[in-house]
Amino acid sequence: MAARAIKPPEQKPAPAWLQCAGAILWPSFFVAGVVTMVFFAYVDPVALRDITFPSLKLGRELGYSLGFFLIWLATLSSSLFTWILLRPGRSARCGSSLTSKAP
Amino acid sequence: MSRPIPLHVVEDDSSSYYVSERKVYPREVSGRFNRFRVAAVIWLLGMFYVFPWLHWNGRQAVLLDLPARKFHVFGWMFLPQDFLFLSTLLIIAALALFFFTALAGRLFCGYACPQTVWTEVSLWIERWCEGDRNKRMKLDAGPWTREKILRKGSRHLLWALFALWTGFTFVGFFSPIADLAGRTPFDWGGWETFWILFYGFATWGNAGFLRQQVCKYMCPYARFQSAMFDRNTLIIAYDPMRGEPRGARKRGLASVLARTRGLLDKLAAYDYVFRASRHPSAADNRAQAGGTIALAGTGIVAEPLPRFLPEQLGDCIDCTICVQVCPTGIDIRNGLQYECIACGACIDACNGVMDKLGYPQGLIRYATQNQIDGKATRVLRPRIVIYGCLLLVLVGGWMYGVTHRSPLIAEVLRDRNAMYSQDTDGRIENSYTLKLVNKDQQVHHFVIDVIAPDMPGTSLRNGPRTVQADSGEVLSVPITVSASPEVTGRHDVKFSVRGVDVDAAIDVKSSFFGPMP
Repeated sequence: MAARAIKPPEQKPAPAWLQCAGAILWPSFFVAGVVTMVFFAYVDPVALRDITFPSLKLGRELGYSLGFFLIWLATLSSSLFTWILLRPGRSARCGSSLTSKAP
Repeated sequence: MSRPIPLHVVEDDSSSYYVSERKVYPREVSGRFNRFRVAAVIWLLGMFYVFPWLHWNGRQAVLLDLPARKFHVFGWMFLPQDFLFLSTLLIIAALALFFFTALAGRLFCGYACPQTVWTEVSLWIERWCEGDRNKRMKLDAGPWTREKILRKGSRHLLWALFALWTGFTFVGFFSPIADLAGRTPFDWGGWETFWILFYGFATWGNAGFLRQQVCKYMCPYARFQSAMFDRNTLIIAYDPMRGEPRGARKRGLASVLARTRGLLDKLAAYDYVFRASRHPSAADNRAQAGGTIALAGTGIVAEPLPRFLPEQLGDCIDCTICVQVCPTGIDIRNGLQYECIACGACIDACNGVMDKLGYPQGLIRYATQNQIDGKATRVLRPRIVIYGCLLLVLVGGWMYGVTHRSPLIAEVLRDRNAMYSQDTDGRIENSYTLKLVNKDQQVHHFVIDVIAPDMPGTSLRNGPRTVQADSGEVLSVPITVSASPEVTGRHDVKFSVRGVDVDAAIDVKSSFFGPMP
């Protein structure tokens, strides 16, 4: 029973930027995966190439992967934009030095 | 009036949505639910790692051939045209999740979720390399010795191998696995390599490091599960009426169920739980339970608990083993918490302790909140009936649809360049393109003919046509319908496609145009 006296060691918490990055990357990845699946279930990447850039030699594998990353880029930008909009204002973040001199 | 309002963010950093996570060191546990989970792990991971190696009719049994846009699942072949089945299957899965959650809580999370299953294996590796909870905590707290480097290094090596094998298997579902194995690793294609490493990296990170944080922060289901819970849902529950007040005791004290004290009344029991949570014992402090439950509103002060006489004590001996085994690091004695993935580890642990003390099992058990509070449980509630009926209808429809799929799809496109043309005999002709898909796994022959009830003497130019379609092939057949020279205006025509060596028949409607009258 003496062994039970051990306490889990203290740990440094993950830095805030990492948590922010996770909160932006993960939902956008998840949605991009779903959208990619639905999109390519109906659209053949080769057919898409033929009506857009027929001169490029794009195979299906490259088409799927490219499509996924383009969609991820779009959802990622949207997540990033939401994060920018939701950030507290500069005065709140840095503690407004001009106004905090209240009595 | 225009003076700005002084603002200040209360939290010291921007991570206010997330508590800082401690590493959880789950203690090893044995018991009925653990055996059940191990069986689930072996079965589910077995399916994942073995299925791509199985063969069926001379081809990989489960092959989601994205480059060819054909999905082979045992005897079936699915084409993009069958997307309805996949989407229905996903709806069925979601509905099944609702149904089982309302009925029995997070069964999926505790036993079947890939996150749980892969985390379990990574924990086995960790235990095997670094020992059980106490050894791991000592190792982490201690300095970097030769032993620490060896133990940690071997764990990371095994994790990396396991993750790579997982990534390889994953890609093996999309690219024939035997061929992929033969090309290991320098002849893999660029995207194959990328996805193997990507999936391997995700496995390594999720199962090795993120673990319960995936359930707490990343999983959408954990966020809305409470919408499906009610007081009749089966949950993992601690019985405070029997357990409180908790405390260490000398051997020989019988269970409350065999003593005159009996069960506490509800108010006193929950009050003890609340006060114990605000004034944790030394043992509780060492166990460092996390969790976000709010047992009372803000501003309510909890008085410390008095010292209880042995005969006043409940059955909980405050050994905190239920906290130590918890993979999410919560204290189940504080009641249902959203972190709880219903893995049953605390039940197994507590039952083991109860056995040692000679107390009846079930201080922590699968029960409904109503049961714990001494009320009757109703299994058949409206939501159960509605979810159940919807599920039955969808599963039935899906099974019927998949087993009665026509092996043939046919569509007709009219030639857009000319309404009609006339041949040398003056007969009126219309041109079409017939798109024909053979969804079967074998080669088939089909006969194409035209039916025009209000235009006698109409036929295909060279008579009925027979075509051959390979498995999964999409054929474009140009056909010309020829009608007598007197035909004018618009007429309905039907193209009939009949299987020669397969029971399949489709009629496709279209229009036939002659000169304006």
